[in-house]
This record gives sequence, structure tokens and C-alpha cells, in this order.
Amino acid sequence: MTFRIAVDTGGTFSDVVVTNGETRQLWVNKALTTYDRVFNGISDALTVVSEEIGISLHELLSQTTLFTYGTTFSTNAIITGDTAKTAFLTTAGHPDTLVLREGGKLNPFDFRGRYPDPYVPRRLTFEVPERIDSEGAVLMPLGEAEVVRIAAELRERKVEAAAVCLLWSIINPAHELRVAEILKRELPDIPVTLSHQINPILREYRRASSAVIDASLKPLMQRHLREMERDLKEGGFKGQLLVGTSFGGVLNVEDVALRPIYTVNSAPAMAPVAGRANAPDEESIIVCDMGGTSFDVSIVRGGYMKFTRETWIGEQYTGHMTGLSAVDIKNIGAGGGSIAWIDPGGLLRVGPQSAKSSPGPACYGRGGTKATVTDASVVLGHIDPNYFLGGRIKLDYTAAVRAITDNVAKPLGISVYKAAHAILAIATDNMVNAIRSITVNEGLDPRQSLLIAGGGAGGMTIGRIAELLDADRVLVPRTAGALSASGGLFSDIVTEFSASRRTDTRNFDYDTINADLAKLNAEIDAFFERIGTPRDQQFREFFVEARYPHQVWELDVPLRGSCFNSRDDVEAMIEGFHAAHERVFAVSEPGQSVECIYWKARAIARLPKPTLKRQRTAAIGAEPLSVGDAWFGGDVPEQTARYDGPSLSGGASVKGPCVIQEPTTTIVVFPGWKASVLQNGDYLMTKEG
Amino acid sequence: MTTEPLLLAILSNRLDRIVREMTNTLLRAGRSAVLNTARDFSCSIITSDNELLASAEGLPVHVIGTELLAKAMTELHDDFREGDAFLHNDPYLGNTHPADHAILVPVFFEGEHVFTACAKAHQADCGNSLPTTYMPGARDIYEEGALIFPCVQVQREFKDVGDIIRMCRRRIRVPDQWYGDYLATLGAARIAERRLKELCKEYGREAVRAFIRDWFDYSERRMIDAIGKLPSGRIVGEARHDPYPNLPDGVPLKVTVTIDSAGGKIDLDLRDNPDNYPGGLNESQACATNNVMTGVFNSIDPDVPHNAGSFRRISVQLREGCIAGIPKFPHSCSMATTNIADRLVTLTQAAFANLGEGFGLAEGALGMGISYGVISGEDARYDNESYVNQIFLGSTGGPGGPVADGWPTYYLPVAASLMYHDSTEVDEQKYPLQVWEKRLIPNSEGAGRQRGALGSKVVYGCKNNPMTVAYTFDGHENPARGVRGGMTGQGSDGWKTDKAGNRIAVPMAGTQVIVPDERLVSMTGGGGGYGSPLDRTAELVAHDVSEGWVSIERARNIYGVVVTESEAEKRLYLVDEEATRKQRANISAVANPSNS
Repeated sequence: MTFRIAVDTGGTFSDVVVTNGETRQLWVNKALTTYDRVFNGISDALTVVSEEIGISLHELLSQTTLFTYGTTFSTNAIITGDTAKTAFLTTAGHPDTLVLREGGKLNPFDFRGRYPDPYVPRRLTFEVPERIDSEGAVLMPLGEAEVVRIAAELRERKVEAAAVCLLWSIINPAHELRVAEILKRELPDIPVTLSHQINPILREYRRASSAVIDASLKPLMQRHLREMERDLKEGGFKGQLLVGTSFGGVLNVEDVALRPIYTVNSAPAMAPVAGRANAPDEESIIVCDMGGTSFDVSIVRGGYMKFTRETWIGEQYTGHMTGLSAVDIKNIGAGGGSIAWIDPGGLLRVGPQSAKSSPGPACYGRGGTKATVTDASVVLGHIDPNYFLGGRIKLDYTAAVRAITDNVAKPLGISVYKAAHAILAIATDNMVNAIRSITVNEGLDPRQSLLIAGGGAGGMTIGRIAELLDADRVLVPRTAGALSASGGLFSDIVTEFSASRRTDTRNFDYDTINADLAKLNAEIDAFFERIGTPRDQQFREFFVEARYPHQVWELDVPLRGSCFNSRDDVEAMIEGFHAAHERVFAVSEPGQSVECIYWKARAIARLPKPTLKRQRTAAIGAEPLSVGDAWFGGDVPEQTARYDGPSLSGGASVKGPCVIQEPTTTIVVFPGWKASVLQNGDYLMTKEG
Repeated sequence: MTTEPLLLAILSNRLDRIVREMTNTLLRAGRSAVLNTARDFSCSIITSDNELLASAEGLPVHVIGTELLAKAMTELHDDFREGDAFLHNDPYLGNTHPADHAILVPVFFEGEHVFTACAKAHQADCGNSLPTTYMPGARDIYEEGALIFPCVQVQREFKDVGDIIRMCRRRIRVPDQWYGDYLATLGAARIAERRLKELCKEYGREAVRAFIRDWFDYSERRMIDAIGKLPSGRIVGEARHDPYPNLPDGVPLKVTVTIDSAGGKIDLDLRDNPDNYPGGLNESQACATNNVMTGVFNSIDPDVPHNAGSFRRISVQLREGCIAGIPKFPHSCSMATTNIADRLVTLTQAAFANLGEGFGLAEGALGMGISYGVISGEDARYDNESYVNQIFLGSTGGPGGPVADGWPTYYLPVAASLMYHDSTEVDEQKYPLQVWEKRLIPNSEGAGRQRGALGSKVVYGCKNNPMTVAYTFDGHENPARGVRGGMTGQGSDGWKTDKAGNRIAVPMAGTQVIVPDERLVSMTGGGGGYGSPLDRTAELVAHDVSEGWVSIERARNIYGVVVTESEAEKRLYLVDEEATRKQRANISAVANPSNS
């Protein structure tokens, strides 16, 4: 037998998904993440699966051909500050690039927030005498003696990694390259990241930020990935290990170890990959992944995931921007733990404060007294207190009622059911706002889209989200509880190469641009060659990031190919730009010329995808476990059936209101909706009438 | 209340989102750097009764008072209808200053006017007699020279009124850039129109109208609650703008704040200020009003909504013909959004600090200086193409407050950290500009328990042809003051260096033409501190020393904190607790000899 394994190690849980290549069966499981040795948690989860299969863990691993590893390890390291002691070398006269970021703030009247520290402290920032101008000319030669002195200081101060970002290195990298040579000579054991290599884009803050984040992760991630490789090998694994990236793809361990920034925010980037695999023919998909503290949205349009260059670790403006082109994930801190409160004007608010996992929602019975979204679901009868997370946690119904009565129902003078409903409605409204912000920015109509729900809490709220968005189809994959991990099963090896080169369509520089594109093509050739991708599995996509004259923010426009043969090719690109501008900004300026700034090539080495068969053998039909009261907005309960998901047969259809309990998620089918069990075990909810 | 609490929350969220969507459109689609990098613009939604309803993420100086623009539309045009759009930049008719072009789009649902969507953006050029949007020396509107549009129709049936576009194209420098900005601004208003119609369709006109009423009432309750937390009393704030052309003594400014805590009311009186003068610093009515209101909102719970509902609890007394009031035509209001405006914001918030511990803010540093100059010329790299634009390279220092230090990305009191600053690389690519230095200035902060932010030093020159730089200062003679024992920040400064590196003085407002090898130097001010520096947490002072923001001597002499270099790591400083305790006791004893 041959198996494939995909893993997603999150902050709390490690999710595993296993498929069998011959029987086309699929298993999903979870275990607590073990921080000291990540493999232990994974092997806990896999052991349970191997027992279900009827083999040992060693047998499972030794028969596994492909292991995809998605991890929040690097993201967590950044948040907790456990990264390497990193030095930042930059052009003399410009030491505050990381301190000042790009500016901006959310609320102009709020002076209570602390100004954030730079990613690298100023005392580890070094000014390198040199200057290159925007045309690549050297205005001031590199002060090599000073670089040697800096290297000595780095050694003395026990710096563990270094990042170099000099102005205009994207046009003329000579100085960055020379600094790297000197550092390599003086400090052979310290990893160095050069800004023009990790992220060759205009804008010194973004490039510097990419470089320092990448450098700071190198020692840690290189160690971590080596350890994972060793643990897997000792466990019997002989197959290929691939690591998830923020491009929504995977890469070899060696490539990731050289550019560990690619793993930052990679876990949520796998959710749309899973979404696309679950609904390959959909024109537009909105993927919502909701856990206990966070809600992530991403979109897939015409089979393409939406990318952005603005990924923040932490809050917008006060966090750190990765600067890389990556799958666009809109994240809000809303989840089951979000706390409901009444503001001084008497308005009900939900979040942003969260009860987190300790003390947790009141119904957890761990001393929490505040009303949370999970408490609301318990009061409304959407969650069975005895079957939360497959019965792993018993919930305290009375505590949930008390929390909502005291904190919300009494102050507002409404019933506990109305209060619970309002909490859920406001929490979902915040999520809907997050969805709208990412969809409208892309000109995508949620009403015409398929919603896909993932995460432990996704199935409970997605129905209401669909109502608010006026969408009429929702897919809850049977892997919903481990959506990001399952994305790993369906991902390809993806990497990007890019070049900064400004040209104007009024005076299009065919020769230079074609030479740049040819260079990108050659880089892709070398990449495919190195990883041994068969020719028929090689795919390439080319993009330009372009703008109207005087603009500074670019839009992505796909190119027809990797060469501009004639004016026709240029015109097609211009048309593509006008259309994208119209879609995103509601206006365009036909006839206006277009400035092209970056050229981007994406290499995709397609991996074989598992085909899955229907999981269910037991064809019991649609018999509920029980029928009881649940509330959906009114004071009067509705008779609501509760089904055991795994015992529903393919093709079965159940009418809302009802609740379907799956081992890793709970699905609430709202009144007016029905849920059909697809042959592969996924649930499709549709609006009736 | 007729709107269910749930619906109230949902609709207010929705409006917020619509404004954010407008904002995103303007930011991304805007052509000039003033918009697409500095985001010197704002978007808002106004009711059909001309009351400000929503304004998320808008620059305070732009947003409050936008309802005056909508009022001009409904009063001047009795036949406005769907598909219309109006261009308004008239400071005598409710606008901020002539460089801010506002586009107003009336939003109709089922044939009825329900909202007015407004997007307002600072232009790179507005047709002034000099290539700058700030004309400190203009004796009147004629000398200022801007094209003025007193709420003029610019679209009919969703199509441009060609006459207006042609006028602008003829009189505004770099017309393609202007037209691109116009499209972006219009796009933002039209997006709001689309979304607001969807909203009305979803909930029905009556529910939306009921919501507006209830949302204003809710906002008013929040304001009453916030004012209830302030002590009652009358406080007077005074400050002085630096000397200027035609204003040899500067401008003395005064605001009287009367707080009625129990009655939930605040009155702001600006009538006791000098008359209009022949120059560009005169405030417009919209600015004078919103500046002091901004000072109030900076001093209370920031969660209180900023709309006509909360505004009901604030009254502003203005006088006609007053430099900080209602401008008398044809006095120029060219600089109404910055200089005196900044003074009024920061003066009001500092006055609130006099109410007691925990109230108000220190003064933030002001004056745009040379690092916010408007640059113009011809770029030899691109066939001598003309360019004109304001650059935003170095921020002034933000004010210390009751809980947080000032932000070094403050920009100006009226911008309140909302703006982005320019990327050196973007500026150097777009303009023949060479930025030699951009850094924070150590020891420039107003010391305090919460210190002001540092000012910045920016040095730049030009690459090829001569470059014209128009700039204006403030905060050189009258830097940002601290409150409650906090200290004054370092003042702003600026000069030119010639080929040999000699320093050449420049006037506080004016125009310089520089050639390659010459450089302009800009030093923006530091923000004022809040509370005594002797009360600052010693570890924070040591951190400032490690980071190079504060020198070892200044830590000892001003903050009373003695630091020692860590044995484990060079350049990392730790608090010497015993020496610090003694040093702080000594400084206190010298300052208050009677106590010892």
C-alpha cells in the first residue's frame, strides 16, 4: 500500500490527513501541538490513524511516498520573538527604515496605542557607507573597510544572522553582493539574506522587512526542518518531504531552508488550495476558516488564488509586513472565544477581546464568566454540550445561560435566546465584513460564489454568513476540521521569480523586457531541472504588476506568454490592465498608457493528486440521533434534528433546521436550507425555494 | 429607539465598511503622491438632511464639516438628480481650502435623495499662481490664483461636463495627473453610491431612515457619557504661531473650553482671536470648526462615533473676519488645513490636559517644513516631462499622552498618523530627487513620563535640472510644549547647503530653486512630553538609550536615570537602580528645595 500524509501544525492543534493510494480512503485526525518537539504531536495524531488502518506507525510512515508539512512554527517564532539575534545593514543615512515602516494608523483619535518596536532593534542596525541611484549609478563607492569593521562587531556581539538592504539594490546589486562576500569571509557561520535576492521589489521598507524576517528565521527553521527530517526518517519515512509556503504551494526542504520567510503565514494559505481542490469547476469560491480565536478568508477566482503584497504579521500598520507576494488571507480576531459586551451607549458588541482557551468560554467550566460566541451556540441548542469536539470536552449549559443572562440579556432587557442570537449575529456580521472587504476589492460577487467552510467552528456559522451575503450554496468538506492540512494533499510545488524593470507602453522596451522574461524562464528551467520535474508536469505563469502613469500601487495582470512578439501582445496586456482597473476601482482610463514595474514568473511543478472515494459504507439513511429544541432568532424554539454525520449515507439529504455532528466539526443547517451528503462525504448546503 | 439593537450594530458596521471601500479606491487608484502615498484625502457619507453620518479612517481635518459641502449642493442646486456629481473646493462655502477638491454624488433610492457621498482629495496642483498648493504670501484669493468651484456640476447622467474638465485641464499643472486623481475621487463616490443603493434595497428606505435617527441618538448618548467623565470647568488654551510673511509677531491664538459635565456639553470659543490678514494662513469655517473638535475627540474615548449625533454635544463659537473663524472674502485660505489648523488641534488637546491627570495630550510638533515641500520642475530622465507634487519624507514628532509615548509617524496634528510617508525609492524613481539622509533626531523629544516622539532629519537634492521647492514652517520659535510637567520638544529648522557644504539660511516660508550639488536640510520638531520625566519608567529610558534615541547624559540629567552598559552585550544599557534612585531624589530636591 502507498500513503500520502499532510500535516498542519497550528498553535494549539496538529491536524493530520492521510490518504491511501490504492483504496482511495481518507483519514482525518488531530492532536495537541508539542512545541518542544513538533514531531511528537504529529506522531500522536498519526498513531491513532495507523491503528484505524490496522498497521503500525512505522509501517504507515515507511509506506508513505509524500509527506507535506504545513507549519505555523515560523509565524509563532516571530510573534513570540524567538527568532535569531539579527543585524540589519543598510545604506548610510537611512537607518530608520524599519522603525518608520510606511506610516498609517486605523483610528486617528486614538492616542493610547504604543508605537511598535522595529523588527530589528536600532542598536543592531548598521549604516554602510555607499549610495547607488535610481538609475543604478554608483554615487558613493562601498566603504569596504567599514563593512569589515561591522563584521567584527557582529562577531563580538554574537549576532546570529544578518540581513542587507541597500537602496536601489534591485537595479544594481553590486554593493549588496560585495557586502555578502565580506560577511561570508569574516563570519562564515552566520546566515545572510540579501534584499534583492529574497524580494526584488521597489520600496525599501518592504524589501528590508522581507530580508530581516528571512534572516531571523534561518537558524531556527534550518534546525527545525533538519530535526523534522531526522525524526521522520527514524520513524521509517523514506519518501519525499515537502513544506507548505505562503504561495499556497509546497517546496523542497532545501529551498525552504534557504528562504524560510516562505513559510510565514503558509498554514492559512493552504485553505484556499483545499477549497479549490474541493470544487475544481467553480468560477468563484470564498473559503472561510474559523477556529477558536481567528477567522481567515481567502478567495479563488477562475481557479486562481488571489495574491497580495501586503501580508502583515500582527496588526496592519503596527505589525511587520512580509513584503512578499503571497496568497491574500484576510484575518480577523473573531472566533468561538470572542466576548460579548454592552458599550456605554447601550449597544451590543462582540470582540475584539477573547476568552482565549483560558479561562475560555463560560461553558468550558474553567472559571470564565463572560459571554462568548460559543456560549451563544450552546444556549441556542446549536452545540450539544455532550458532543463538543466529538465529545472530547463536556460543556456546562447552565454556565453558558448564566453568562449570557447576566452580561447581555438582562442589561438589554431581552430574553436569553434573543441575546444569544444577537451575539451570534453580530459575530457573524464582523466576519461578513471581512469577507466583503476581500471580495469587493477584487470585484467578486459573493452571491455568485460558492462558500466553503473550514475549521472547528466553521460549520456552525457558515449558514448565517451565507444568509447575510445572500449566497445560496455552501460546501462543508468532510475534511473541514483540518482544511489547511488537507490543502497540502492537493498542492503543487510552486515558486516565484521576479524582476523589477520599469517600462512604459508608449515606448515599450521589447528587447530589455523580453531579455528579462527569458531570464525568468531560464530560472524556471533550472528550478524544474534541479527538482526533477517531468516535462509534462511543468507549468508556468507570467504576470506584470502595472499601473497608470503617476500611480504607485500596482495591479497584477496575467500575460499571454513569456515573450512580447508584437504590438498585439502589448495591446492585450494594456486591455487586461484597463479591465482589472475597472473591476477593482470602478473606473478605468481607456487610451491612457500603462507603466509596467515588476515582472513575475510562477513555476508550478504539478504533483499527482489523490483521488478519493466515498467514505461511507454504513447506509443507515437519514435517521436523527435525537430531536430537540434549538433557537434561530425567535423566542420560540424550533424542533431540530441532530444527526451523526459519519452514519449518513452518500446521497442523503436533510432539511434545516438541523445539526450534523462530525468528529472534528459541527454543522448547523439553518431553517430554509437543506444539506445533501455528496458521494465523497462532503456536505453541500443549498437554500430551498 | 425603533431600530433593533442588532440591526443598529449591523448597519453601522456596514456604513463603516462602505467608507473604507471608498478609501481603498482612492488610495489605490489615485495618481498623485499626495493621494496614493500620503493619503491626503478622506471619504464620508452624509444624510439627505446634510448631517455627517460616517467617516471611517478619514483625516479629521477633512471630514468634520463635510456636511457643509453637501448643504451647498442641496441649496444651490434645486434640481440635482441621479447621475449628477458636483465639484466643490470653495472655502467660503464650506470647503477646507482650495487645494482640496471634493466630489459630491447625491444618492437616490426609489427616486428619493437618501444620502450624499463625498470624497475629498488634496490635489498635487490646483492652478495657483505658483507651483504649490500652499500660498503663504497670497494677499487675497486673486493673488492665490486657484481655480475655485463653488459646488459646480461636473457630471450629468454619469458623464463628465466637458466644460469643467477643460477648464481644469487648461489651468492645472500636469493635467493628466489631475484628471487621474479626479477619476479616482469620482470612483470612490460612485462606489459608495452603488453600495448605499444596495443597502437601501436590502433593508428598505424607512428602516434606513429610522436607523440614521437611532444611530445619531446612540452616538449622542456615547458623547454624553464621555463628557460625563470629564470634570466641569472653563479652561483657556493659548499658543502662538511663528512669525510669517506679513505677520512679524506671528499669530497669538486662544481657545476657551467650557465643559458642562453634568449637562454633557462642551463649548469651544474661538472668537477672541486676531482678524483676517492679507496672507494665506486664514482659517476656513470648516477648518476652524473641525480643528478644535479634533482636539476634543483626541481627549476623550476614541470609541465614541464621530458623526452629527456626537457633534450635537459640542458647540463652536466663531467670529466672521477672524483668522481662526469665518473668513471674510477675498482673504486667502490657501493654508487653512495646516498651520493655524495644526495649532488649534494641539492647543485644544493640551488645554484638556489642564483638567487633571489622565486628561488631554501634550502638543504635537507642527510645521511641514522642507521635508513636506511641493517640488516642481522638468525631469531630464523622461524627456523633460513636467512634474509637480508634494513630498512627504520626514514626520514631525507626535505628542505624549496619559498612557502612550508620541508616534514618530505623526506627520501633523491634523493628520494624526493617518498618512503614509514616501518611500525614498518611489520618490527617486518618480522625480529627479535624491534623498541623502532620512533619520530620527536623537534627543529631540519633549521629555516626559510619556515622552514626545523624535523629530526627523531629511537631506535631499536634485538629480539633473534645477528643482523648485515651495515650503512653509512653523514650530521653529514656538516648538511643541509638554503638559503636566512634560517638557518641550526640539524646534523645527531648515537650511540649504551649497556645493562646498556651507550652510545658507532660508526664510521660514518661501520657494527655493536648487541645482545639483546643493542640498536642502529639514529638521522637524519633536513632540511635547506628558508628565514629569522623573516619573518615566526607568527601563523605558534605558531602552531609549540602547536604541540611540536618548543620550546617556540626557537620561541622567533630564530623566534622572543612570544606565550602565550590559556586560553581556555592548550597546545594551541597563538601569542602575540605586544610582537612579539617588539621582532622581537629587533632581527633585533641587527643583523643590522646600520639600527637602
